[in-house]
Amino acid sequence: MNYFQLFGIEASFDVDIQQLSSSYQTLQKSVHPDKFVHASEQDQRIAVQKSAHINDAYQTLKNPLLRAEYILIERGIDMPNEQHTFGDTSFLMHQMELREMLEDVKSSGDVDAALLEVQNVLSSEYLQLSQMMRAQIIENTAASNSAACDNLRKLKFYQKLNIEVDRLEDSLFDD
Amino acid sequence: MALLQIAEPGQSTVPHEHRLAAGIDLGTTNSLIASVQSGDPRTLADEQGRDILPSVVSYQADNKVVGYAAQAFSIDDASNTITSAKRLIGRSLADIKSKYPSLPYQFCGDENHPEIMTRQGAVNPVQVAAEILKSLNHRAEATLGGELTGVVITVPAHFDDAQRQSTKDAAKIAGINVLRLLNEPTAAAVAYGLDSGQEGVIAVYDLGGGTFDISILRLNKGVFEVLSTGGDSALGGDDFDVVLVDYIIAQAGLVRPLSPSLERQLMQKACFAKEQLTDHEYADITITLDNDQPWQQRISKAQFNELITGLVNKTLRACRRSLKDASISVDEVIEVVMVGGSTRVPLVRSEVEKHFNKKPLTSIDPDKVVAIGAAIQADILAGNKPDSDMLLLDVLPLSLGLETMGGLVEKVIARNTTIPVAKAQEFTTFKDGQTAMAVHVLQGERELVDDCRSLARFELRGIPAMTAGAAHIRVTFKVDADGLLSVSAMEKSSGVESSIEVKPSFGLDDSQISQMIKDSMSNAADDMQARMLKEQQVEAVRVIESVKAALVADSRLLNSEEILAIESTIKSLSDVSQGDDIKAIEQALKAISDSTDIFAERRMDSSISQALAGQAVDKI
Repeated sequence: MNYFQLFGIEASFDVDIQQLSSSYQTLQKSVHPDKFVHASEQDQRIAVQKSAHINDAYQTLKNPLLRAEYILIERGIDMPNEQHTFGDTSFLMHQMELREMLEDVKSSGDVDAALLEVQNVLSSEYLQLSQMMRAQIIENTAASNSAACDNLRKLKFYQKLNIEVDRLEDSLFDD
Repeated sequence: MALLQIAEPGQSTVPHEHRLAAGIDLGTTNSLIASVQSGDPRTLADEQGRDILPSVVSYQADNKVVGYAAQAFSIDDASNTITSAKRLIGRSLADIKSKYPSLPYQFCGDENHPEIMTRQGAVNPVQVAAEILKSLNHRAEATLGGELTGVVITVPAHFDDAQRQSTKDAAKIAGINVLRLLNEPTAAAVAYGLDSGQEGVIAVYDLGGGTFDISILRLNKGVFEVLSTGGDSALGGDDFDVVLVDYIIAQAGLVRPLSPSLERQLMQKACFAKEQLTDHEYADITITLDNDQPWQQRISKAQFNELITGLVNKTLRACRRSLKDASISVDEVIEVVMVGGSTRVPLVRSEVEKHFNKKPLTSIDPDKVVAIGAAIQADILAGNKPDSDMLLLDVLPLSLGLETMGGLVEKVIARNTTIPVAKAQEFTTFKDGQTAMAVHVLQGERELVDDCRSLARFELRGIPAMTAGAAHIRVTFKVDADGLLSVSAMEKSSGVESSIEVKPSFGLDDSQISQMIKDSMSNAADDMQARMLKEQQVEAVRVIESVKAALVADSRLLNSEEILAIESTIKSLSDVSQGDDIKAIEQALKAISDSTDIFAERRMDSSISQALAGQAVDKI
């Protein structure tokens, strides 16, 4: 049973989050370890397994990048791992520029404004890429799936940058 | 064979009996126990009518004293009277010394397992917690008139694995069955949420004596889904006292080190002044110095606020971070719940109100709300409310990871992941012919091993010799519903499952715990034996009951051969559990578990598909 079947929802990139979340809660009400406190150790163990599986499936479908990756893997697309070299040099150059921009925030005159600008740039580029990826996944041809795969990898770069932004924001607050 | 009894569909085969259960708030400064009686959750008072049990244990010459009685010794016998043991639980000596440099105790034991030297010998902080639990358990049994089926014990949401494990160990030493460890803010949300029946996002701001938690939850049809949690395991109302003590020391021209009794006196006076300033603009501080000279000074609310502003701001930063982690904006929060005695401090209330832009809820006594929520959950887990729709979905508070080359931490499970959770990560060998691998498990958000919390180390041996990078070692992390971690590792190509001996970096290992249980009983060996036998017999009855009920409900999932096999293991277990051979009962339990493994899994799967089928019908 794949994750979409598990939650009884249509296998598509556009997920009805409301419906997903309601199915999730219903499923957890039937398998959560809290419902098996007086059951045998065996039932308790299986309940933990099932409940963990449902949690994992829910997190995967809820998060757009994880969902995209899941769909592409289900379609048999060979997902290169993260250490695999990335061919698109102009993209990598741009990533380095973005990192430099982020580095410069600390030393800029108006830190808040500089940080906000970085965040705006990142989120607009992220949005653009993710819309492209969505269309490619929906198209579902060999070429579009492979292109979606590339865009997914690019989006993961942005995700990492966003973590850096959070770190920077935290360090600024800590002063 | 005997005829199977068949119950009404949807009803238990066991006649309804009310099981006694309680919720325990094991606090840094104060502890409470509560229970649901005739549908009403209430805290249980001692014989003098006091709900609160100060979390203090005093080791006197021939007995241990707990609570108010122990508090009386805290100034004159400071080194034998342990307060705020919760702050010491699951921590290293270096940790304790840097955070609390002026504790009046004499520490012994090793660096990672510090103990306190008392006139009754070395005492582990876990044992101190066990004494408090025992005292509360005793109170509950006396009030409720019977033995408790089990308790729910609350812990700060951001407690790490070692601290959670230590809390559970304390219950084990006290001989108490733990139904669940529950996060304090989640417990508070339950206490408020069930009354109001509201739906939407709420924030729980929990500032206790020694810890601070912030949790963001979504409430929907009885489900409490924690979206994110954060906080500080070493920030609480006691820290307000600490800055005030430092201020007094500076004002009075005193120089540390001070005598243990003067330190205690200063803490008590500071705490008293803090409480005074809740309702008054000024507080007068009077101290008797070691030379019996009095010293006195007046402090204003404004001065006090200035001293604690930094600490309060620190809590607000954590609030901001948790909202961000939950992807929730401040406007989406419909209620803010205040928990913990330290939320009485006026500056805390006003700053929280400003931050969330709404008046925080304080209608339930902030000292009692956690225990009350825990009692509600305990009542449900004990099985007293079979129709309850309530379900708590909590999260892992701090990321879990493994040490990789170069002293870096590779995250395996991110914080704020809903529990239970299981995740696997693959690693490979670094050198040709490497046959063993050291696995170091860590918890925390930072990238460097040294900045994270070491949870455990173990060695994976017997990896077949291969070239570097050829072996695939799969390390699986499992976090259960109590938030407790277990780790297993396996080499994939050979299937070698390592004989893992996890050595907890902090806290106690199993042999120490059983030693402590023995120590706490008078006729150690016999009692231990009797207790184990009783536990096994209870488990046998429970298993037989549940397998029989399962057969009645779902025998359609089995063929006749499988049914016969299961029935025969039931019979052997039932026969052997009448006797007193612990080993034999253990084996029979194992046999029944093996014979029903597939059945149990099929049942769970069938209930999963039925759950959604039911929903689909509801929608039509």
